[in-house]
Amino acid sequence: MTSEHYHPKILGFLCNWCCYTAADSAGVGRYQYPPNLRVIRIMCTGRLDPSFPLEALASGADGVFVGGCHPGECHYQDGNYHALVSAALVHEMLARVGVSRERFLIAWASAAEGPNFVKIITAFTKQTEQLGPLGLAENIPAQSLRVKLTQAAEAARERKIRTGLINASREMFKSGDFSRKNITELVQAKCEKALDEMTAQAGSL
Amino acid sequence: MVTSSASAASGMIKGSVLVLGGGVAGVQAALDLTELGLKVYLVEKSAAIGGVMARLDKTFPTNDCSLCILAPKLVEAGRNPNIDIITNADLLKVAGSPGNFTATIRKRPRYIDEEVCTGCGQCTLYCLKQISDDYNEKLSTTHAAHIDYSQAVPTSYHIDPKACLRLNFKTCGLCAVACRAGAIRFDQQEEVVELPVGAVVLAPGFGRVKNEVLERYGWGKFADVLTAFEHERLMCASGPTNGAIVRPSDEKHPKKIAFLQCIGSRDRTCGNDFCSSVCCMYAIKQATLAREHDPEAEITLFYMDVRTHGKGFDAARERAIAENNFRIIYARPPRVEDVFDGRLLLTYATEDGGHHYEYFDMVVLSQGLESPDDADLIAQVTGIDLNDYQFAATALHAPLATSKPGIYVIGAFQGPKDIPDSVTQASGAAALCSSLLTAARGTEIVHARYPAERDVTAEEPRIGVFVCHCGINIAGVVDVRQVRDYARTLPHVVYATDNLYSCSQDTQKHLTDIIKEHRLNRVVVSACTPRTHEPLFQATLREAGLNRSLFEMANIRDQCSWVHMHEPEQATAKARDLVRMAVAKAAHLVPLAEQELPVTPSALVVGGGLAGLTAALSVAEQGFSCTLVEKDRELGGRSLLLTADRFGNRPAEMITGLVQKVREHRLITIFTEATLASTSGYVGNFTSAIDTGRGSEVINHGIIILATGGRPYAPSQYLYGQSDRVLTQLELEKRLASSRPLAKGTRQVVMIQCVGSRGEDLAYCSRVCCGQAVKNALRLKARQPDLAITIFYRDMRTYGFQEDLYRQAREQGVLFIRYTPDRPPVASRDATKNSRVHVNAYDPLLGEEVELAVDMVVLSVGIVPEDPSLLARMLKVPVTAENFFLEAHVKLRPVDLPVDGVYVCGLAHAPKTMDETIAQAQAAAGRACQPLARGSIVPEPIVSRVDPELCIGCGACQAFCPYKAIDIYKEGKLRKARTLTASCKGCGVCAARCPTMAIDMGRFTLAGIRSQIHAFAGKGE
Repeated sequence: MTSEHYHPKILGFLCNWCCYTAADSAGVGRYQYPPNLRVIRIMCTGRLDPSFPLEALASGADGVFVGGCHPGECHYQDGNYHALVSAALVHEMLARVGVSRERFLIAWASAAEGPNFVKIITAFTKQTEQLGPLGLAENIPAQSLRVKLTQAAEAARERKIRTGLINASREMFKSGDFSRKNITELVQAKCEKALDEMTAQAGSL
Repeated sequence: MVTSSASAASGMIKGSVLVLGGGVAGVQAALDLTELGLKVYLVEKSAAIGGVMARLDKTFPTNDCSLCILAPKLVEAGRNPNIDIITNADLLKVAGSPGNFTATIRKRPRYIDEEVCTGCGQCTLYCLKQISDDYNEKLSTTHAAHIDYSQAVPTSYHIDPKACLRLNFKTCGLCAVACRAGAIRFDQQEEVVELPVGAVVLAPGFGRVKNEVLERYGWGKFADVLTAFEHERLMCASGPTNGAIVRPSDEKHPKKIAFLQCIGSRDRTCGNDFCSSVCCMYAIKQATLAREHDPEAEITLFYMDVRTHGKGFDAARERAIAENNFRIIYARPPRVEDVFDGRLLLTYATEDGGHHYEYFDMVVLSQGLESPDDADLIAQVTGIDLNDYQFAATALHAPLATSKPGIYVIGAFQGPKDIPDSVTQASGAAALCSSLLTAARGTEIVHARYPAERDVTAEEPRIGVFVCHCGINIAGVVDVRQVRDYARTLPHVVYATDNLYSCSQDTQKHLTDIIKEHRLNRVVVSACTPRTHEPLFQATLREAGLNRSLFEMANIRDQCSWVHMHEPEQATAKARDLVRMAVAKAAHLVPLAEQELPVTPSALVVGGGLAGLTAALSVAEQGFSCTLVEKDRELGGRSLLLTADRFGNRPAEMITGLVQKVREHRLITIFTEATLASTSGYVGNFTSAIDTGRGSEVINHGIIILATGGRPYAPSQYLYGQSDRVLTQLELEKRLASSRPLAKGTRQVVMIQCVGSRGEDLAYCSRVCCGQAVKNALRLKARQPDLAITIFYRDMRTYGFQEDLYRQAREQGVLFIRYTPDRPPVASRDATKNSRVHVNAYDPLLGEEVELAVDMVVLSVGIVPEDPSLLARMLKVPVTAENFFLEAHVKLRPVDLPVDGVYVCGLAHAPKTMDETIAQAQAAAGRACQPLARGSIVPEPIVSRVDPELCIGCGACQAFCPYKAIDIYKEGKLRKARTLTASCKGCGVCAARCPTMAIDMGRFTLAGIRSQIHAFAGKGE
């Protein structure tokens, strides 16, 4: 399949105060970018339920983008750190179900950064285009991935994993280390058992 | 009968203001005044408010759609019960004293009853008498019975008495037959009314350059020589050609267009020795849009100087030039000649002495802004003084006050200016009126009432979808009708239509009718962005008896048509998807209860320079207490370093007086050598800790004004710091205040402009340095008339009336030599101590290198804002790449920051002059006092809600809530969480972290977002 014929479907969750505003200002400035993104406005990336990106990929998105304020600049103080925790879980689950982690991106653009938003979206669209439709880069039938992603989304709505995320968030704030590496490790540690159960269940299918 | 002395006193002071002129400045002043508790009579001489901005297609520097951003304000003014819009009216007399004026108004008949007219347009259809259409610059025709433009407020037609056959010849009268509403009133008579008002705000706008001046350039003789106003109408979708830029002579698309600048500006021959300040930038805008219309068009702009000195203007100009291949020529073609093949010939001389001639298909004259035609009359009836150019005379330290106390002036009548500066002045004048009329605040206003909300909870969703063309902003790319037809196929959609402009007043009326007629209980508007337009549509929902939360927008302009301009099919597909997602979410919307929160009626001002002092004093004079925090020991800031203004007055005297007033005001508390340590809360209810160096003071306040100022750029160029002969303009100011500013034997002074500015260190223009350089050059000349002064500059940006100084400096022999950034002047010196400095530079007029032996080099260094990052992080407000605070909207909300209750003024916003700083500080105080005057706020009801059935009382939500808005209570033996709605800001962290998904958010519900996700994928519910 050549990339000229393939238009990836990308869903974006943009926070009202930074990234959504950046997207608007890109429009006002007439900065052009590929027409693949569809946007769901949320007040803060902290609203992002970890199940949303999984559900989006399960429903037919080829890529999911979450855009918020720069770390330390969240309009609600620290919602974007919570979003990083949710994002770490999403990446972990994608890895476990065999979906390329590059299909999910969380990044930042401030209200003043229309051109930066355009850069991020243009690059992500290109990257998703290169991956091809869900399943192609993964070399797994899309249908089977979708079933697994649906299960992952359901698992992300369940108490066990969410309790793990609460603990990861607590640790993150306690340590004051908001690096993606630290957050990833925290989420892996706190959710490992619940994730293993999910993986085992999925494997039994 | 109540006869207390208080009421007698307040009887003397009127709680109302007359605003003369319904352009953007007048409308903004009117809206701000009502928010400050004052009633407004908005008197407009034409038949509709909107002014020149309503005729513009786009606005610079962002090229945002002009009417789209203006229309919500016009609609808001139109539906505001405290604004009495009086159209077709003239001001005849103002008598009385500040606080207690009587204004006499003449209302000319409209001949159509405003109250009865439904705006259907039948009268125009049947009217036999064609007239040329003023709104379209006479490039098209309309009829004697007409409406000025389709989004006009009031949405009522009127009859031109000069043209009407019935009124002049007692024939025709067809309109009266055609009008179903029976609104035609041929017998309507002129009315003279007297209005008791406390203050007057003059906002009559600007006048047009005389036809004789335009005719020198062939206008009126050659069809394809257009004024910029005519060109603007040609560009506009609602214009005479529906947005096609064609030559009036043959309707062909021009391939080569020339823009001639300074038509009727900087021109002694027509008496306009001032600079009109806006034309350089609007020409860039028009040229950019002409290219957007025809990407093949070759565009040349003829400039004297490129004066793009506003915030972000240089960046916008540079990008426009680079992207569109504009040719910029520094020349002033003296005339336009016609040639036989339909082209236009321009002859011009460039700076190098070369003579050129060139053909163009179309020539656009960037005409300047003059004082209004009726300036004399206004001066006569109000008693105010005018300046040499017939603009209202104002002083630098009181830029909005006319010579008559209680009468204020804003907008272009105060001096040529752009929209943000006009809007700023409007808010500033509102603050001044509010100070003057504090005693009568709230005495003449009524509160808006909405009909009772219809209970829709038991109803199935009945969704109405309104798809906006936005002129050609959306429809030029997206197939709007296809999107509308598609919307009709979606679940729960019972009605879908498309509108040319969804935000116009007639469409709002239409929307209300449709909601009622089709019993809609959810509304989706598919148009621009909810960030700017949601409040407008939500107000319309409330007028139709629907809860405002039953509303959703699909952003198919800012995030679709504008960013996929070259992919119409893809953009249309995207618009369909976005509408489908919005409809899916709308089906899940439920009415949400509103809450009203009290406001702490006091202010915090950060920064004790000119801006902060002015703002603090204005807040206090409006009757609210204010805390002023200054990090230095003394108040006054860096304006104290200026030793003379351009009229020879000493700013220090004014500032010392201001400091004294601030110190003595009983409502102001001052902390010097203090900083803001922390702030929490939200508009109406902030709590801040001030680090005073001796401890921490905690204060509660309702709003914050940031006036953190700026400092001079520290140069290292041009031997600064190495030679005593090199100094900055501020250092020169200090010397000029001394008895012997110049060392003996000083013969040659050189000034170098743009040191640090417009380059790599500071990407922007610092705006004030050109004016300061010519001012100081004149001061030097006054001390030593034979002194040789050479100023090296890139563009002399002595905009507005500062042009006087530039001209005087040239007349007195100051030499001006233009340099380009790739070939700046070079300073060098011999090794000997105290040797003269050699400045070598290329002189484009001579075409060769010149070398000057210089006794003193003065560097015009730029302005650097104080580091805003700490405050930005604390208050969550954005800053630009240049470290200035980024306002909520560059055009129409120039002093508001995007976070409610936080305002900015002075150099923290952008470089500006002292008078501009004062006006902006007054504006910030005017805006900031609105929530204080209102006394309460109604936040968006998007708060969280805990389902007690699902809640397990784990307390994670409480732990993570950034606003302590969750409380754990006991229900029997069980712990449960609940939301303290007054504190909740709606971020949704609690919902995302709740282990049992027991928490949901208002409007951003789990079910709603999931339905958006499914709709994105094309799946139904």
